[in-house]
Amino acid sequence: MHNFILKRLFQLIPVLLGVSLLVFAIMSFTPGDPAQLILGENAPAHAVESLREEMGLNDPFVMRYARYVGNAVTGDLGRSYSSGRDVFNEIFLRFPNTLILAALGTVIAVLIGIPVGILSATRQYSFIDSSSMLMALLGVSMPNFWLGLMMILVFSVNLGWLPSGGYSDWSSLILPAITLGTGSAAIITRMTRSSMLEVIRQDYIRTARAKGVAENVVINKHALKNALIPVITVIGLQFGNLIGGAVLTETVFSWPGVGRMMVDAIRQKDTPMVMGAVMFLAAAFTLVNLLVDLLYGYVDPRIKSQYA
Amino acid sequence: MRKLKVAIASCAAVLLAACSSPQDTAGIRDTVVVAQRSDAKTLDPHATNDQPSSRVAVQIYSQLVETDSNMEIVPGLAESWEQVDDKTLKLHLRKGVKFHNGEELKASDVKFTLDRMIASPTVAHIVGAIESVSVIDEYTVTVKTSEPFGPLLYHLSHTAASILNEKAVTEAGDSYGQNPIGTGPYEFVSWSVGDSVTLKAFDDYYGGKQEVPNAIFRNISEGTNRAIALETGEVDIAYDIEPIDKDTIHNHKQLKLIEGESLSITYFGFNVNRAPYDNVKVRQAMAYAMNTQDIIDAVVMGGGLPTNSPISSRVFGHNPEAKQYEQNYDKARQLLKEAGYENGFETTLWVSDNPVRIQIAQVIQAQLREVGIHMAIDVVEWGAFLDGTSRGDHETFMMGWVTVTGDADYGLYALFNSATHGGAGNRSFYSNDDIDSMLQAARVSSDMAERSKLYGDIQLTLQEELPTISIFNEFQNAGMQSNVKGFELAPPGHHKLRGVRFEG
Repeated sequence: MHNFILKRLFQLIPVLLGVSLLVFAIMSFTPGDPAQLILGENAPAHAVESLREEMGLNDPFVMRYARYVGNAVTGDLGRSYSSGRDVFNEIFLRFPNTLILAALGTVIAVLIGIPVGILSATRQYSFIDSSSMLMALLGVSMPNFWLGLMMILVFSVNLGWLPSGGYSDWSSLILPAITLGTGSAAIITRMTRSSMLEVIRQDYIRTARAKGVAENVVINKHALKNALIPVITVIGLQFGNLIGGAVLTETVFSWPGVGRMMVDAIRQKDTPMVMGAVMFLAAAFTLVNLLVDLLYGYVDPRIKSQYA
Repeated sequence: MRKLKVAIASCAAVLLAACSSPQDTAGIRDTVVVAQRSDAKTLDPHATNDQPSSRVAVQIYSQLVETDSNMEIVPGLAESWEQVDDKTLKLHLRKGVKFHNGEELKASDVKFTLDRMIASPTVAHIVGAIESVSVIDEYTVTVKTSEPFGPLLYHLSHTAASILNEKAVTEAGDSYGQNPIGTGPYEFVSWSVGDSVTLKAFDDYYGGKQEVPNAIFRNISEGTNRAIALETGEVDIAYDIEPIDKDTIHNHKQLKLIEGESLSITYFGFNVNRAPYDNVKVRQAMAYAMNTQDIIDAVVMGGGLPTNSPISSRVFGHNPEAKQYEQNYDKARQLLKEAGYENGFETTLWVSDNPVRIQIAQVIQAQLREVGIHMAIDVVEWGAFLDGTSRGDHETFMMGWVTVTGDADYGLYALFNSATHGGAGNRSFYSNDDIDSMLQAARVSSDMAERSKLYGDIQLTLQEELPTISIFNEFQNAGMQSNVKGFELAPPGHHKLRGVRFEG
């Protein structure tokens, strides 16, 4: 078990190296001069040149990348080109916001997705089934930024119940979390439904019913646990996606998370910030997947035996 | 399963509690909440020169001199000043001015600030002309420039030239940008990174205590969301209302919108090294083909003025006599014929991915088609746009320039001097010896009347030669709750909350 976790953690190294090289190369070889972007269109050329020199942008690519990796290994992700803040600190300040949003989004998705999925499966081809599948289709098809704006219009402008953005108290979490959770809820609903349909046709379910076990016990106790295994995979993937994919939602709701910070940094060609954010999100995604794998063992002991 | 039910119930309880919590913040009038486009980067004025940072910094700091709403120089931390000779300026500081850490402002702080500024690659160019700063006594400093430099006072009014406290900067070290100490009306309290900066009124401010004890700068990047936050009462003042939201604010009972000229000009530039733009008649023909009032009405909903100059009428040195082009298709066709392009030509415009500029480009495209010029629009990512236009890869381009110091030198020197081709500002690659020598003469003179005359002549020539066509002088705006009083737009865009109050 410990070996398994260690092995997975070691696999992070090549992943992060690959990601960092890719992003560093993209940031270096796309047009746009960070010094010029920082100083703005009004800055004189000699100021841009001296800033380039100070930022070490005139060094060859390999040298800059090696310097970056060398520092990163010691935990120094550098300072933001534009604000001068320590990248590592900045990410740690912002990451909890993204994590809270992604977690709450996932909770909402699960709270909607699993019950509706079960309901659909147990009443296959009924009105409930077709309407929930229609909702699921809507859920995956609606773009987050549009849904977010609609929620703001209804709940902030017209009804005046909830703040339209920012982060003041718990109430500011609700709209972004629902916006973020909707797409995932749809995916989880569909997954739960198909997995459940498969399980309730199994012999042991028929046996349980034949013994006269109450229907809700059959579904909730016997079928659900087995049906959940593939659903957990999807939930894990969705959670990972939400951490990385909160960019649009964070922008619409002025949410101070890592995703929005990354977008701002990309526009500024703030390489240390972009690198830090991308590597952090990559690491978070990988760790979530590891967590999901460990969770399998908890749900299905047969899988645990393979963790040697 | 029971655990799951408990979890669901408690989550629902949290959500309901959050829903029902009243938004009582809207009722409290001891805090002014301002929304702007993005978060400040740092509150160290020497580490950045971006507008969101300056807009917060200007509340915390004061400068030696300030500009008023007419862009006249007025006293700031310097009570008075005298020109000792054409390279030396002597400034007398106000006595008894307190920094937020309790220190008194001394001449040594001014010297420390300016020396530090000259050493900063980000803002050194603003005080590039300064050779040395000397402390005469506790309340007197002299600033010496390497050659006479007419716009010096305007440059000292820039937010980057905010006066810092030597002790505070030295003590805070690298973290100064997050722990700013100034002499301004509001002092720094806290920073929720990415979200908001909180300030409180500084009791010992030399200009008197503020009526509103707290100020919060929130960052709301989407323009529509800033308008919505005004409507819902979450913010009191929102900067930069988008053209499409202006009517909503205007027609809303509890809101008002104020607009005013900025120091910013949006212009259409040529690469004069390339045919057909090496022919001045072609450039003039295109100016005659354009109707800038249509652009202002259609794209920015009236938020601007047609202009006759590359600098705004608010800028020192603006010449109201310079030629203003009015749409005249016949003249345009005539000029094209004389230039040998009777049947028009095809060309490409570079524009960055700014939606307003793209729409302007589309209107111009339609107007030019009337005289046979078929212009394709290339939308180029901002970084690539700056890169490409500084190399001269473009035929024509659209851009803006803010003469942030309020002095013509800043707005004309970089854009039309032959020494600044490319990335240094002159993206038209325009060269004219007369213009070069007049720009230089106006820069090194400290006789304001003479400078004004020189800049006037430069604009007369530029409007004939047209290395760029100035499309319009942009208005800036702010939407606010109707009970906000005493708020004024500062032409350079760094609006001050000093004197703002709530009424009714």
